[in-house]
Amino acid sequence: MDHWQNFSRRDFIKISSLFLAGSAAMSSSAGQAFSGLGQSGSDENSDRIVYSFCEHCFWRCGIAAHVRDGKVYKIVGSEHHPLSQGKLCPRGTGGIGLLYDPDRLQHPLIRETKGGKQYYRKASWDEATGMVAEKLYGIHEKYGPGAIAMLHHGFGVSFFKQMFSQIGVNKFAKPSYDLCCGPARQASVLTYGYPSGTPEGFDIKNSKYMIFFGTHFGENMHNTAVQEISEGIRRGAKIAVFDPRFSTIAGKAEHWLPIKPGTDIAMMQGLMHVLISENLYDRSFVQHHTVGFGELWDSVRKMTPEKVAEITEIPADAIRTVAREFAFNAPAAFVHSGRRTNWYGDALQRIRAIHILNALVGNFKMPGGVVNFDKFVLKKPKTAHAHPPYEKSVYSRYPFFPDDEPSNTIASHEIVQQAISGEIKALMIYGVNLPETMTLGRETAIEALRKVDFMVAVDVLPAEVTGYADVVLPECTYLERYDALDAGRNFRTPFVALRQPAVPPMYESKPGNQIAKMITDKWGMHGVFPASVEAGLDKTLKMTGSSLEEIKKTGVIVRPETDLYRKPGVALNLKTPSGKIELASSRLRAAGFDAVPRYTPQPEAPAGFYRMLTGRKPMLTFGRTANNRFLGDVATAKENEVWVNTETAAKHDLNNDEYVHLKNQAGVVSEFPVKVKVTQRIRPDAVFMVHGFGHTAAKMTWAYKRGASHNQLISRTDIDPAMGSVGFQNNFVTFIKEA
Amino acid sequence: MTATAATEIISTKINPNVVPHLHIWEWQIPLYLFLGGMAGGLLVITSIMIVLKRKFGIGPKDAGEGCPCLAIRIGSALSPILLAVGMIFLFLDLAHPLYVWAFYTTVQPTSPMSAGSWILVAFFPLAVLQAMLVNKRQLRTFDVGIVHKVLDWTEGHMTIVALVNAHIGVGIGIYTGILLSFFSARPLWSSSILGMLFLVSGISAAAALMLLLAPEEEKPIYSMIDANAIWIELVTVGLFVLGGLTGSANSSGAMMHLIGGNAVMAGIPYAYWFWGLFVGAGLLVPLLLEFLEAAGVHIKYPNVAPIMVLTGGMLLRFLIVFAGQSYHTFM
Amino acid sequence: MANKKNYGMVIDTRVCVGCSACVYACKSENAVPEGYCRDWVVQETKGNFPKLTMENRSERCQHCENAPCVTYCPTRASHYAEDGTVQINRSLCTGCKACLAACPYDARYIHPDGFADKCSLCHHRIEQGLKTACVSVCPTGSLHLVDFNDPDEEAQKLMAGRIVYRQKEHAGTGPSLFWISASNKPGA
Repeated sequence: MDHWQNFSRRDFIKISSLFLAGSAAMSSSAGQAFSGLGQSGSDENSDRIVYSFCEHCFWRCGIAAHVRDGKVYKIVGSEHHPLSQGKLCPRGTGGIGLLYDPDRLQHPLIRETKGGKQYYRKASWDEATGMVAEKLYGIHEKYGPGAIAMLHHGFGVSFFKQMFSQIGVNKFAKPSYDLCCGPARQASVLTYGYPSGTPEGFDIKNSKYMIFFGTHFGENMHNTAVQEISEGIRRGAKIAVFDPRFSTIAGKAEHWLPIKPGTDIAMMQGLMHVLISENLYDRSFVQHHTVGFGELWDSVRKMTPEKVAEITEIPADAIRTVAREFAFNAPAAFVHSGRRTNWYGDALQRIRAIHILNALVGNFKMPGGVVNFDKFVLKKPKTAHAHPPYEKSVYSRYPFFPDDEPSNTIASHEIVQQAISGEIKALMIYGVNLPETMTLGRETAIEALRKVDFMVAVDVLPAEVTGYADVVLPECTYLERYDALDAGRNFRTPFVALRQPAVPPMYESKPGNQIAKMITDKWGMHGVFPASVEAGLDKTLKMTGSSLEEIKKTGVIVRPETDLYRKPGVALNLKTPSGKIELASSRLRAAGFDAVPRYTPQPEAPAGFYRMLTGRKPMLTFGRTANNRFLGDVATAKENEVWVNTETAAKHDLNNDEYVHLKNQAGVVSEFPVKVKVTQRIRPDAVFMVHGFGHTAAKMTWAYKRGASHNQLISRTDIDPAMGSVGFQNNFVTFIKEA
Repeated sequence: MTATAATEIISTKINPNVVPHLHIWEWQIPLYLFLGGMAGGLLVITSIMIVLKRKFGIGPKDAGEGCPCLAIRIGSALSPILLAVGMIFLFLDLAHPLYVWAFYTTVQPTSPMSAGSWILVAFFPLAVLQAMLVNKRQLRTFDVGIVHKVLDWTEGHMTIVALVNAHIGVGIGIYTGILLSFFSARPLWSSSILGMLFLVSGISAAAALMLLLAPEEEKPIYSMIDANAIWIELVTVGLFVLGGLTGSANSSGAMMHLIGGNAVMAGIPYAYWFWGLFVGAGLLVPLLLEFLEAAGVHIKYPNVAPIMVLTGGMLLRFLIVFAGQSYHTFM
Repeated sequence: MANKKNYGMVIDTRVCVGCSACVYACKSENAVPEGYCRDWVVQETKGNFPKLTMENRSERCQHCENAPCVTYCPTRASHYAEDGTVQINRSLCTGCKACLAACPYDARYIHPDGFADKCSLCHHRIEQGLKTACVSVCPTGSLHLVDFNDPDEEAQKLMAGRIVYRQKEHAGTGPSLFWISASNKPGA
């Protein structure tokens, strides 16, 4: 690691207790708040209820924050919000754990060097935003807008996008595209002509048969989806799950098929083979509404169940059974495209294969099949300022990177690489804990953070990333601020939702809308933002025939249910080149990629190593909840475990609950030990560990040293050459027993 | 690899002193049970001695003016004192000791705790009266009016007082065991012979204590009582173990947890504590020593045997209280 | 007598995913101290790879008809409420812990302030005509608050024709919590 010193102009600073000590008393009393209000049960009458929406995951459920004596003492699901319907997952309830986190960033911090030692000093907002404005503007002047980039995660970013647009900067990346939803989005664009949304376009509650490939519903608590799956189960729906691990949803399944990791496309081809060869597919639908059937059949003709069984280690009979049951229940049946869809470098093709399976059974826009939920159409007032044109609309070099998403113009790993190469000089990082985010692994991320000339972090907690910033701007939590209106969710009943503060910002933290405004004001660009965020929201809402005052009452405006289903005999008129569902994609072919998905083998584990799979615990959202004491307060949330099959454990002489270090194929050893869970619930050739543990930032006093970091063990990444997502499941680990 | 179907259970439960197993009672309760048992034992022995005096030639010598010998006088006085000390420990164990008055706002016959709190009320007046009566000569020297009056009223009825006390003593001794055996949720405790075991153990501990305190010429009688009590205790322990082992999987599992498992107390497996220190060092060895002594063999340190009995008696309470908690709930 | 309530719960493990939303909702609703819980979630997996079955279930005080905690309470702090639930009167509780030892379900704990504590079936909410916090939050609809004296209850219908069990019935406690087994076939 010597070479780091050549370009590391920035050391990691543990945000010093020296400057936070002043508020120690306040912090500790805030810590007590998790226990609520004392012994008495609640009295509903004295509560003030504030309707807003959650920020603990991208689903953005509606919440009702109950406030008493100036404190949020409980958060429940909003009965008005279509995505929560009065229900809430643990993380939503756990908002109080973030709000009253004693480790929160309390004041702006500026990096200083004294006597060769770097440290943070407390700064005023005026000074800190002044420095950010000056540095960003200087780099913009010297190198142009392309030298500035923003990595962002979280709904509050809209104000910073607007801020940057004033100086023509639009090099924005959201790691969730690379790591989570990118392939599903683009596969939908290429196959159906429209991007997939959230919630994903499946008519779950009316379905009779659901197939999941490695999608961990129940462990990922996507509220609405889990509600609808439960409703489906109550109505008698059957579930088939392909997963190397016996996940919670596998526990609900009629068939759990412990597929060999990395062979999913082969399995999908096998299912297609059965559907076509046994004439189970919807011949009429395929004929009228799809293109490329002949090419598809050619590509799967040889993928017989027997051949696929050899590849996937799932018996041929089971493959036939699932394909037949799928076709039997169609069109009220679907294969779900999943979430966090980037496993290997071929994720786009894998999700395309899923869409093709769906198209073959003719479930498109049918009850219980694939649907396309609508969004609420929100008219937006014209911006007061005409901003300079973007230098380019899309920066990504990947041919199938989205070109219609202003918030995502480049892959986050490209930003990391450009920061290392020197093309990017300044970084704003909004809510992304880059060293623990799966983009190219921890070391590469840290290299990028050390390399850029200027880095500003906007965050709530002293996460690892904040230790590399020149300026740290403490944003208040989502429970203490207004944000933009949320019309970004697709659902049966299109809606727009309001985020509003339940309590005023604690400490000296500020909402993003004020921080962005302070910076544009420093640039001398007054009037970019409305006089107040409330005024801006009210103006927008009035264009929709509502008002801020009105929406505050329920936190949401909901439109009636839309018609989701197609009419027989009517052409689909999709926005694909053919106007039909593209079983074979002409755009992919034109760009030199496979027009139909093809299975290619993934690398095998070295002897004694096991493929490292990941997922989550239902009460946690990776890094975002890592330091949440309220959510950490159950036995199963305190650390992550490495799941090891009983057979494999015996081979390595591992006992249940023993602590081991993990070592990956590149020799990286986990910084902290991790507890072994010896289990029947995983294939012998793979191990599983939940992402988001093993934090190294000591000021995150709860998360620090809890479990082991999955991210640290990612040395190899496989980037999808078509759309730029990052796969990281070609990493393998072995065990180092404690001496 | 075993062929049996594995069961994996994960739970979010975290309550301290409940998870992973019950740990609600620490040293206070075993000490209370030990002292309570010994207090009961002292009352039983002293009152029976008083009742039986001179009848069978084993009773205490009269120390004049109707007062029995020193051992009985000390024993009678120690009984309420030890119980009072034990109750301090019980009080210390309460999570909310200031609410202790709540025990006396109601009679809950189904609650061993409630029954016990009332038995204690019944115990003290008569136990203290007996202690006063046997020590009346010394007490009268203090010349306190009320004491004179009490002694005047009652000194003619000492035998009746002692007769009633013998029963109360048995009640206290059994109660210390029944207190635990009512808890059917805890399979080790859920055995009615526990009452008998704690009673006999309390008597043997009381005899050992009196053996230590008694003047030389009075020792043989207590040695004999102790040896007999130990012998009965050994039989009772055997029945207790057998009753557990021959019971359901629950009971036998809990008993094995005590007598043969890997679980540890203070770093030493329960099995070693139970067989080595309780049965061996606490019962068999002192029984042998007292037998040898009675047979005329000269024992260099005659106090060793009673001290071993006392230690064993205390250990029994710790073992039962701890092992009963650390085994899982009734299934 | 017609209006007398007899509350309990029916818990449908066919849909429960073990997310623990019920646990957290209870924590904030009832100000359960850090490190404690009144309800909890169990995930039980049986079998050997790859033949496995799973049941997820939410557990709590069973509000027994014949509750050992009430039987053994020396002060009447633990008592039966009018609505069929088991409640604790904190101003009578000495913290003697007999109830903890008595409970076959290990459902109780000693509150740091010195009294026995457990699930109250959100007594304060039921009084206001609300569901319990856990029932209200449950995303899967696994939890049902039921008045067993009301034969028209939806959740009682849920149990008809299905494999339903109670826990440790042979303890003679008459528990008021019913679980619909995950072994019921889909749609059954």
